[in-house]
Amino acid sequence: MAASPFTSRSPSMTVASPNTLRLRASAAQNGVVGATQASSTPTLNAGQELTEQLNADVRQRYVKDKKLGEGTYAVVYLGHLREDPSSFVAIKKIKVNAEYKDGLTMDAIREVKYLQELSHPNVIALHDVFSSKDQNLNLVLEFLPRGDLEMLIKDGDIQYGAADIKAWMGMLIRGVWFCHENFVLHRDIKPNNLLIASDGEVKLADFGLARSFADPYLNMTHQVITRWYRPPELLYGARQYSGAVDVWSMGMVFAELLLRVPFVAGNTDLDQISKISDAFGTPAEENWPGVTQLPNYIPTDPAHAVPLQGRDFFLRQFPTAGPVGADLLMSMCALDPRKRTTAYQALCHNWWTMDPQPTRNEDLPRKMGTKKMGDDLSRRGGDDDGPFKNAARQLDFGAMK
Amino acid sequence: MIEDDIYRTSSQFRLWSYTEASLKELRAKTNAIASERARTAIRRAPSAQPSATSSAAGTPQPGSDGETKKTEEKAKEIDCLTPEEELVFVRYYCEKTLELGETYKPPLPTMVRATAIQYLRRFYLTNSPMTHHPKSIMACALFLATKTDNYYMSLRQFAEGIPGNTTAEEVISPEFLIMQGLRFTFDVRHPFRGLEGGIMELSAIAQGQAPPAPHLPNQSPQQLLQQIQSIAPPPVACSSIADRIARAHGTTRETLKSAAQMTDAYFLYTPSQIWLSAFLLADRPLAEFYLDTKLGGPLTQTTSTDQSDLQNPLYELRVKLLNVLTECSALLNSYTPLSSDPDQMKGLKRIAKKLFYCQNPEGKGTKRDSAQSQAVAAAAATDSGQVTSESESERLAKKRKLELEQKLKTNGSDIFGPELATGRPKE
Amino acid sequence: MASKDDLDHRDEDEVCPVCKSSRYLNPNMRFLINPECYHKMCESCVDRIFSSGPSNCPVAGCRKTLRKNKFRAQTFEDIGVEREVDIRRRVMHILNRREEEFDSKRAYDDFLEQREEMIANLVSRIDVAKTEAQLQKYASENMQSIRTNQALEEQEASSFQARMTQEQEEARLRRQLAREQLENERREIQASREDMLNRLAAGSSADAAAIAREGHKVLLKKSSARRSEEDRIRQKQAALRSEMKRGAGAGELAGPSDSGLIKGLRKIKTPEPEKPYDPFMGYVPEKRDYYTLQSSYPSTYLDRIRNDTRMAAGGYDLKEYYSRTMLEAFAGLGCFIGEEVSRRDAGAEVKPAATAGAAMAAGGE
Repeated sequence: MAASPFTSRSPSMTVASPNTLRLRASAAQNGVVGATQASSTPTLNAGQELTEQLNADVRQRYVKDKKLGEGTYAVVYLGHLREDPSSFVAIKKIKVNAEYKDGLTMDAIREVKYLQELSHPNVIALHDVFSSKDQNLNLVLEFLPRGDLEMLIKDGDIQYGAADIKAWMGMLIRGVWFCHENFVLHRDIKPNNLLIASDGEVKLADFGLARSFADPYLNMTHQVITRWYRPPELLYGARQYSGAVDVWSMGMVFAELLLRVPFVAGNTDLDQISKISDAFGTPAEENWPGVTQLPNYIPTDPAHAVPLQGRDFFLRQFPTAGPVGADLLMSMCALDPRKRTTAYQALCHNWWTMDPQPTRNEDLPRKMGTKKMGDDLSRRGGDDDGPFKNAARQLDFGAMK
Repeated sequence: MIEDDIYRTSSQFRLWSYTEASLKELRAKTNAIASERARTAIRRAPSAQPSATSSAAGTPQPGSDGETKKTEEKAKEIDCLTPEEELVFVRYYCEKTLELGETYKPPLPTMVRATAIQYLRRFYLTNSPMTHHPKSIMACALFLATKTDNYYMSLRQFAEGIPGNTTAEEVISPEFLIMQGLRFTFDVRHPFRGLEGGIMELSAIAQGQAPPAPHLPNQSPQQLLQQIQSIAPPPVACSSIADRIARAHGTTRETLKSAAQMTDAYFLYTPSQIWLSAFLLADRPLAEFYLDTKLGGPLTQTTSTDQSDLQNPLYELRVKLLNVLTECSALLNSYTPLSSDPDQMKGLKRIAKKLFYCQNPEGKGTKRDSAQSQAVAAAAATDSGQVTSESESERLAKKRKLELEQKLKTNGSDIFGPELATGRPKE
Repeated sequence: MASKDDLDHRDEDEVCPVCKSSRYLNPNMRFLINPECYHKMCESCVDRIFSSGPSNCPVAGCRKTLRKNKFRAQTFEDIGVEREVDIRRRVMHILNRREEEFDSKRAYDDFLEQREEMIANLVSRIDVAKTEAQLQKYASENMQSIRTNQALEEQEASSFQARMTQEQEEARLRRQLAREQLENERREIQASREDMLNRLAAGSSADAAAIAREGHKVLLKKSSARRSEEDRIRQKQAALRSEMKRGAGAGELAGPSDSGLIKGLRKIKTPEPEKPYDPFMGYVPEKRDYYTLQSSYPSTYLDRIRNDTRMAAGGYDLKEYYSRTMLEAFAGLGCFIGEEVSRRDAGAEVKPAATAGAAMAAGGE
């Protein structure tokens, strides 16, 4: 920026992973200059419209190597850049959904729309998109071979401690903070959407339910976020909400990492509300002004009301986190979304500077061996509602041999 | 500036920002390829031509396409659209998109319509109306915008809202084609929200509540309040500062809905530059005042070298920005709606007529058979990325020829296309 | 190593080659040499000739310019040995790579051989200019690593000293502790025996056995406590030693970088200094250049929301809207597309295959 008198440039460019930049920028170049270059090519490909030529250029940049997994609505391939066989990418081919008559499905549109705009070390990188025969959409994504957080949590053979949890939570909250900085809600944060790169970095994936937010007077759907990670305001049917919904989900992931089982795992939406009430306290006007006016609010029998849980509860329930970690967790689990911490505030918490220091990426525990993949492509754990129940957006690279 | 770096990460900056020259070059190239393809396709379908050429005397444009002169006689007769004509034609459909959005109850949000218009403009940078008629692209672009801008309605509901009897299948059939033309970037950065931010901050200044800008720590709320009260009078007399801001707000918003959408503003400038340019047109003294609160006053750099602290550190940025805003204002100011201008409408009819004769018979999206267009898309998108095999294209060409004959029989009298004659979106 | 006295009084007939005075006449005469030419002369000659500044060597045929401050006593009787030792010291001071810096034992041996060859060349005056030039070049290119290794050597020498002293001190403390404990135990045994005797004298005979057993148990406990205390000290010392070793290891890392002269050096990644954890990883949160975000803005359009408890209960936050509108009001204000995009295009045309650098420039500038 020649005009800027300030030497400090935004680090948002320099911090982004070089790989992302390289791929991204090559796409950018193609957009503007592709035409210029093509015009200097002696043989114009008269058989194709310019738009098709540009698409072919992108398509030819990649080579599909082998199938990693297949689901109802997507197939994931391992691939690489044609010019660099050592580069790995995951190519997610979205099949045409014959049942969905309204064109490209919303989750595919959302995923493409938001990933095109977000470039951060803790958000899965979308390098390119191209179309292949039969009108299939191909997303060229960052290859993340080390499974997801859910696999780590469930694997009894893996030992991890407070320093590891701190490292993972740091990466998760950073990714979400970046999305919120760009006014994108993720709306489906859960351990199996947090994929792990070969260097141990945790990346937020699956943006099929993401949307932009902050505009006033706009109704949003409350049928989002897998139930166990869904905040009380959505369970109560709130149509205007904020980044606080993702913060609740992160709090649930935090608790799950500490306990190694989901903390509040309801069987139905109602059950979920009662489990949340039992765990954290019953939502009421005193602790959450206005809650009774939310569309799906259900009054609780005063006899069974649980008082709002305080710091002691969190300390007792989550001793691994230590007092400061428990404090952060508590602030992420506030029932009233206005009292819940924001992703930014969470990153400013002093837990990060306390001992133990977060484990370095290379020292983080990792899952060994392989994992069957087909499951993940069609499964959406705990989510049975809304127009998105059939959405198949799971991405998993664990099937690598 | 940190805000600028944030904008630089957007796909709008990375893929959809052009210089005037590169924009022109791209359009010329798209036009050249499409013309060539249209000629080839029409040559393949000779029987379709005679009736057309005999009545084409209305608008012959000899020599507008010099490059083909030396080729066969036949090709010479086929008079393709120029890039400029294509642009006018697309713009007309951008205006139609606004109208179409208005027909829904409730009308589609401004943001959705604006997104659809930008989709159309982006799409026609690498596609030609000769290959894909905007009439069919327009509706689908608008539907796609409802999906990408979170104003979701079902396709059936959407199709029912279109005047005339357009089917859902007709609406959706070019969707993939459009997405490919958009290079699978669905995010459009509009200037509307930015305008709201500016207006809110100006209101705060007018109420004496505005904090100083980060790099001008010497400002104070009181000082800013005094300054806003003493700026030059507005173009139209106003009762109060608040009233003045509200008026400028309204005028700017109208410009952003119309001129900003119908010109190349989105390709050439950033959203913040666009709203400030529109704001300059609405109330120049107010807009200039606001800019000065951000970039310092017109302190010059030339005063003296030792008095460096007196210089405005943002001087260089300010000078450049004022130039760009002036350019952008001029562009916005140059816009007049086609439909309100009889001369332009006349030109448009001429283009429509011309397009009728040079429309690529193999084009997609102009027909009602989505299966066919899909077949073409599939054929064109073979993994090798090479030209469709000759036999395949021959086969398709024959099919097109038959269809075109059919079309001319049924539709032959309706030479201008019904919607242009009536000025309505469809039938 | 011969002592100075031996040298000085070795030969009564020794004569200064410059002034021809002999030790017989001047028993306190000391001979000095200068490593420039190793010509021997007596101290008074050095004073006489070189006190007023550098001068030529007075030995016939020698044209070396000598300085007084370079004169020193001779260590070895044989001047040839003296010279070789000097050369060796100088070369090894520069070519001071350490075994752990090499990829393999073989590479280290090659280095040692190369060093010996260079020393031999200098000693026997073969290819002196070339060898000196190599040394010079190496020295200037590897200043950092040379210094580090020199410091390491010094540190090792002094830490060896320190370790010796430390170990002696520890041994002394241990002995003292043991002595004290023995003494204490002896006193306790004495005391408990007296106590037992008193109790036995006072109590019934049935208690006697129990009292005796108890006394024995106390003693056992004491000695096992002492043993565990000793273990603890030993462990602590072991930990201390390994810590010192690790400290030295970290020092080594900073050193080597491959040099043209020496082959087979291990590629060592520069150790990153342990920075405090930054939860934002370098991003600057909440920083803005065009505006200062406020917690509230006047807008009649938004007043309805401000009073809507249901929206508030759902978590809708107007601050997010303010933050977004203000950012969008100014994001890209200073992006001059005409300039930046044409620069991007130009850059891309020069290098059609986008390299990382060009891409970075295109994306980031």
